[in-house]
Amino acid sequence: MEKGEPRACRDVIKDNISETCTCQKNFTVYESFEKNVYLYYGLDNFYQNHRRYVKSRDDKQLLGKDDTAVSNDCSPFGTDGEGMVYAPCGAIANSMFNDTLKLFEIKLGGQAEELNLIKTGIAWPSDRKIKFNNPPGSLNSTGAFKNNVKPPYWTKNVYELDKQDPSNNGYKNEDLIVWMRSAAFPTFRKLYRKIDHNMTGFKFSFPKGQYYLEVEYNYPVDSFGGKKRMILSTTSFLGGKNNFLGIAYITVGSVDQLNINQNTPYSD
Amino acid sequence: MTSVPKTFLIGSSGEEHKEMIKMMVLSCPSCTSPAHPDDDSGGGGSDGEGGMGGGVGGGLGGMGGGAGGVEHRTVYLNEPQPHKYCSNAVCTAKYRFKLLFFLPMFLFEQFRRYANVFFLIIALLQQIPGVSPTGRYTTLVPLICILVVSAIKEIAEDIKRHRADDELNKREIEVLKDGQWQWIKWRHIQVGDIVKVRNNKFFPADLVILASSEPQALCYVETANLDGETNLKIRQGLPQTSNLLEARDLMNLSGKVECEAPNRFLYQFTGNLKQTSRPGVMEDTNGVLYQEEMFIWDEEEQEKATPLSPDHVLLRGAKLQNTNWVFGLVVYTGHETKLMKNSATSAPLKRSTVDKQTNNLIILLFFLLIVLCLIMAVCNSQWDAKLHWYLSIDDLSVFNFGINFITFIILFNNLIPISLQVSLEVVRFIQAGFINNDTNMVYEENDIWAMARTSNLNEELGMIKYVLSDKTGTLTCNIMEFKRCSIGGTVYSMDDGSCQDLVTLVESGGAGASVARQFLTMLGVCHTVIPDRDESRGDGSIIYHAASPDERALVEGARELGFVFETRTPECCIIDVLGSKEQYEVLNVLEFTSARKRMSVIVKTPDGQIKLYCKGADTVIYERLGDSQQFRDLTVRHLEEFAAEGLRTLCYAVADISPEFYEEWKNTYYKASTALQFRERKLEDAAQLIENNLTLLGATAIEDRLQDEVPETIAALLKAGIHVWVLTGDKQETAINIGHSCHLLNQGMPLIILNTESLDETRDAINRHVVEFGEQLKRENEAALIIDGKTLIYALTPDLRKDFLDLCISCKSVICCRVSPSQKAEVVELLTRETGSVTLAIGDGANDVAMIQKANVGVGIAGLEGLQAACASDYAIGQFRFLARLLFVHGAWNYSRLCKVILYSFYKNICLYVIELWWAAMSGWSGQVLFERWSIAMYNVLFTAAPPLVMGIFDRSCSAETRMKYPELYRESQSGSHFNWKVFVWWVWLALVHSVLVFVLPYLSMTQDVAWGHGRVGGYLMTGNMVYTYVVITVCLKAGLETDAWTWVTHLAIWGSIASWFIFLLVYSNFWPILPMAPDMCGIYLQVYSSPVFWFGVILIPLACLLPDIVVKTIRNSICKSLTEQVRESEISNKDVSKVLDTKHRLTETARLLKNVFRRTTTRVNLEVELAPTSTKVSWVSNLKTWYATSHEPPSRGHWFVMQVNDGHQPKYMGTHSLKRNMESWVNQK
Repeated sequence: MEKGEPRACRDVIKDNISETCTCQKNFTVYESFEKNVYLYYGLDNFYQNHRRYVKSRDDKQLLGKDDTAVSNDCSPFGTDGEGMVYAPCGAIANSMFNDTLKLFEIKLGGQAEELNLIKTGIAWPSDRKIKFNNPPGSLNSTGAFKNNVKPPYWTKNVYELDKQDPSNNGYKNEDLIVWMRSAAFPTFRKLYRKIDHNMTGFKFSFPKGQYYLEVEYNYPVDSFGGKKRMILSTTSFLGGKNNFLGIAYITVGSVDQLNINQNTPYSD
Repeated sequence: MTSVPKTFLIGSSGEEHKEMIKMMVLSCPSCTSPAHPDDDSGGGGSDGEGGMGGGVGGGLGGMGGGAGGVEHRTVYLNEPQPHKYCSNAVCTAKYRFKLLFFLPMFLFEQFRRYANVFFLIIALLQQIPGVSPTGRYTTLVPLICILVVSAIKEIAEDIKRHRADDELNKREIEVLKDGQWQWIKWRHIQVGDIVKVRNNKFFPADLVILASSEPQALCYVETANLDGETNLKIRQGLPQTSNLLEARDLMNLSGKVECEAPNRFLYQFTGNLKQTSRPGVMEDTNGVLYQEEMFIWDEEEQEKATPLSPDHVLLRGAKLQNTNWVFGLVVYTGHETKLMKNSATSAPLKRSTVDKQTNNLIILLFFLLIVLCLIMAVCNSQWDAKLHWYLSIDDLSVFNFGINFITFIILFNNLIPISLQVSLEVVRFIQAGFINNDTNMVYEENDIWAMARTSNLNEELGMIKYVLSDKTGTLTCNIMEFKRCSIGGTVYSMDDGSCQDLVTLVESGGAGASVARQFLTMLGVCHTVIPDRDESRGDGSIIYHAASPDERALVEGARELGFVFETRTPECCIIDVLGSKEQYEVLNVLEFTSARKRMSVIVKTPDGQIKLYCKGADTVIYERLGDSQQFRDLTVRHLEEFAAEGLRTLCYAVADISPEFYEEWKNTYYKASTALQFRERKLEDAAQLIENNLTLLGATAIEDRLQDEVPETIAALLKAGIHVWVLTGDKQETAINIGHSCHLLNQGMPLIILNTESLDETRDAINRHVVEFGEQLKRENEAALIIDGKTLIYALTPDLRKDFLDLCISCKSVICCRVSPSQKAEVVELLTRETGSVTLAIGDGANDVAMIQKANVGVGIAGLEGLQAACASDYAIGQFRFLARLLFVHGAWNYSRLCKVILYSFYKNICLYVIELWWAAMSGWSGQVLFERWSIAMYNVLFTAAPPLVMGIFDRSCSAETRMKYPELYRESQSGSHFNWKVFVWWVWLALVHSVLVFVLPYLSMTQDVAWGHGRVGGYLMTGNMVYTYVVITVCLKAGLETDAWTWVTHLAIWGSIASWFIFLLVYSNFWPILPMAPDMCGIYLQVYSSPVFWFGVILIPLACLLPDIVVKTIRNSICKSLTEQVRESEISNKDVSKVLDTKHRLTETARLLKNVFRRTTTRVNLEVELAPTSTKVSWVSNLKTWYATSHEPPSRGHWFVMQVNDGHQPKYMGTHSLKRNMESWVNQK
């Protein structure tokens, strides 16, 4: 990576979409949140609810039943030039959010410790159980997905989404499942991770203190005037809104810092 | 049928009666033909209702004959027919050729409805790939469902019809073949066959009678299937064939029957029987002379032509009665029979005001839809999709614009509530069922239930502004009773025993006995009644079958006076005169027509004299009297007295005919009666020749009692703000009198009488009155207008009709006397068209058919004059009094119910679909649907279908009893206050507010996308289904809010509908992947039902939406409560309703008085002064009568007024003419 003049990641990926750009953002939690705390990413001005977008998927394919022919709805992301079927097909899958977010707690001594984030249980169980199933065969290019290619905008194949956990791989990957549920409004958030409250100090809450967010910046939102946000949120039984004591903080904080790195200098 | 237009051409030659007939032809295919001798202007009583039918029947005969001369058919006897005629197999099924062509015909029928076409277009648009936001089948499937359901209905009905047809076609009948009777099926009967019909069997085709088991080929038929009349009718074959009693004789018959081409006029048949050789039948002893004389020798054809009239014909659909068998020659078969020709005709399609308004709204909505979609498409094209790389949209923008436009059309198509048509049909059907099953509208005497013959006008019954009523049979019972007679200047009454004097007089042979005897003989002879000796009862009592109740009353009257009409044969009448039988040979019957207004018989008395007896309206009889008439003036006075008592009068006159003159005349008459062209007119001219130089004998008076509760009903109608007009064929005096007795006219009410002889006079009179009204013109005044038929002709001319109408609507009530059916229709049409008010015509006879069909709503009284009026009507009731319930209860209820259904249907669709508009702003104007496609497709079918139906069926604002008791409540629906632009805009506004709230509130609660404790996010369908749930709940509760009367059905409908959605969501979310549909809904129920936010919203959001409604309703109900509301409230709290109404009434009464005080200073006084003399004089006689009759009542101002006049003059009777003269001279003095 080039050092020197810091560049915003958005500019970096504007020039070269495949370049890896990482940025980080410090933030302070002034009051501890009660558990459970969830990590969301948010997108602004992103029309997941556009008619042409919403229908651009093939639920049959995602059932893992038929991987050779896909619905016309997926067009133009149904098959590639050689007739290979994109897995998964359609505009929704093709535009899946692919930033990687990491949270670090800055300890008193100044050293940072990465927080454990749980990546399962973020999707609806019904989706995982019923709607998303992998085709029969092992999750690789010769097995379940032998007739498929990765969607054009993807950097990795569907069977590489979570190599560590086979139950969270392929179509059953919860990040994919969460993304595939189209949001209702152009400003939306999606559950990214759950904070692991088994960590020391996190048993009962998300303690106040200094943290920073590290983002592997891949997802371009600049072209349509979009914004990205990271939201840390606890919930009450009513869900996300009135729950945060730190609502003001998070809102303010989010705006500052979760507009991810519009201005954050690139650093290592 | 080509002959029909020609008929009209002839008919329109200018004469009034011809026009009238034309009207009837147009409107009344099945009018009766009662030979009713008295007539419209029959000296007071006779309304001529019964007679009209006869007039029409005859009229058709003559005029149709004119056209029939062009096309006629010749049926050869006992020979093969040169032409092939229509088969006797009938098929009444809609889809004739079994089900071969069912599909195309059915589809053609279905897609003549705009709604279905719209549906289809949407369904087709949805098939364009990538265009539809709601999938490809969400319109097509419901459309197919609807079509399949209608197809099943049609097929089921059609199969039924096919079966019925088959049953008919397979019936067997004896036909003469090869010299013997053979049983064949009906369908094999051909024109020219000779068939034998036995007692109590139906005629298989239209037959010409040849012979019967009775003497002189007489037979009795019942024609209930054809015209609803249950009295027996007599039919008779020609004497020439009447004793062809054996098959052998029939086989020898040769010749031909010429008759007109098939047509649908039941009482028209013109034809001739031409025999090529004289068969051996002429040795018949009975009436040989008559027969032979009737023959004319056709020099050229060497054939004898004998005229055939409707009396010689047996029509399919009729039934043989009291006759063992009859031989008939088949002339028309199958679909050419008159019955079948009639079954094809249909009444004009009427649409209600609400329906028209709804249609306008739908058209308006359609344009709004287009505009909305254009706006959306423009917005869409402005929204730069190319920036959004993830969408990958790179279409051509122009192409895109069009596609998007279609998308939006599909998206918003339900703004036009297609479901409304279905809801309305269901609601109306059931409402009609309520009318049909209302036990409060059953005329128990005859077991006649009210019947809604159409359901399209249910709500129109709630908006009636004018009721135009016929008199006889409608206001009155049409049960005639012979009351009085004036013979030779002496009045005899049946009530006070003076009739005994009459009998004594005749027996004793004192002075005037000969006139009396002659008069009573005439009563017994001059009619067309058929006596039927009912042997079964053992006492030998005679039942009279008469086509009109008047005739029966007269014959029965004669019986009471000792002149019993006993037997009728074709040639003679036998009457029992005080114990001794006398036989009168009937030479000719000159039948009643409404143009002639009289009927005559020419008889040969037992002592060989030839006499013409003529009875009819006073005007026509007086015109034809000889010079020195002894009792002329005395009888006039009696006639006027009778009329003033509301009796129907007839004049009787006689003429001695010399045999020489008769012989001469008979030939003329015969020629006329065999004419194939203009037979009617020629017959009329012939009759004119002999009905002359008459000697007046006297007059009769028949009472026709008012029906039960007529005055009360009319009073209630007036209270309800309905104007009641009476259109009658009666004399002016009778009409005015009836007006008084049924409380249409008040004592002291100024009467404006228009009784003029020419156009100029009429113009002057109308203008004068218009000027007199001044500012009060076109406002309701306490005055009545009375106009007679002759003046009406002038008043309805184009340049006068406007002023005339202004004058009419300035009066509280209008009475038109001596009007013809076509005039009735004209008045109705003028009123309907010019004022735009909703009119209701009510009548019972064939002469009311035209008016019933012209009015916005036609009500028929299923009365004694057959069912023609009822059959042509929209609603049929048994008695006039049921009109009040029909209007006040059913009409008002139906109106408010239907208005609610319509407004609610608009509301619920706008409420749901406009949400898509709000969401479109948030989804890049892409046309994405917030809801799942099948959920919205089911919106109108399932989730919100029941509340409007229940509202349309069970809602009611006041109980029936209250509505009947307080007719004032009717005014609300009458003024159309429940459904107009204002109300519509208000509902649309509410729909918009609700749709905003129901969208924005969930939107705000879901901005975080997280609605659960477990932190997961929902997708757009989570939001969508939340919103949808709230819409369903809000909309259902809104129905509850609008419902005035909650019943358990209402509860079931509202809560059930809401529950149905919850259940649907549960079930539907589990479809995928078991059923290949709704993958996006998979598991949604878990998301929705597990969200506390959702459940909070379930309670809060509908409440928040309905809060404005509740507030507005509360404010309105506490500040400016409508009368209905007040009554409803006091009903609910069990308070005395009358208090509310009385307060209201007092207020308005005071207001009215106050108003009058100010008004009186201006033109009002003027008017009263102008009218005062007229009113006093004209209502004089009637006042006197009611004065005596109602002397227990305290005298009103009017009475006092009259008494003053009475003090001034001796209360002696003044004829109308003198009255008029007085009035005119008085006016001239002014």
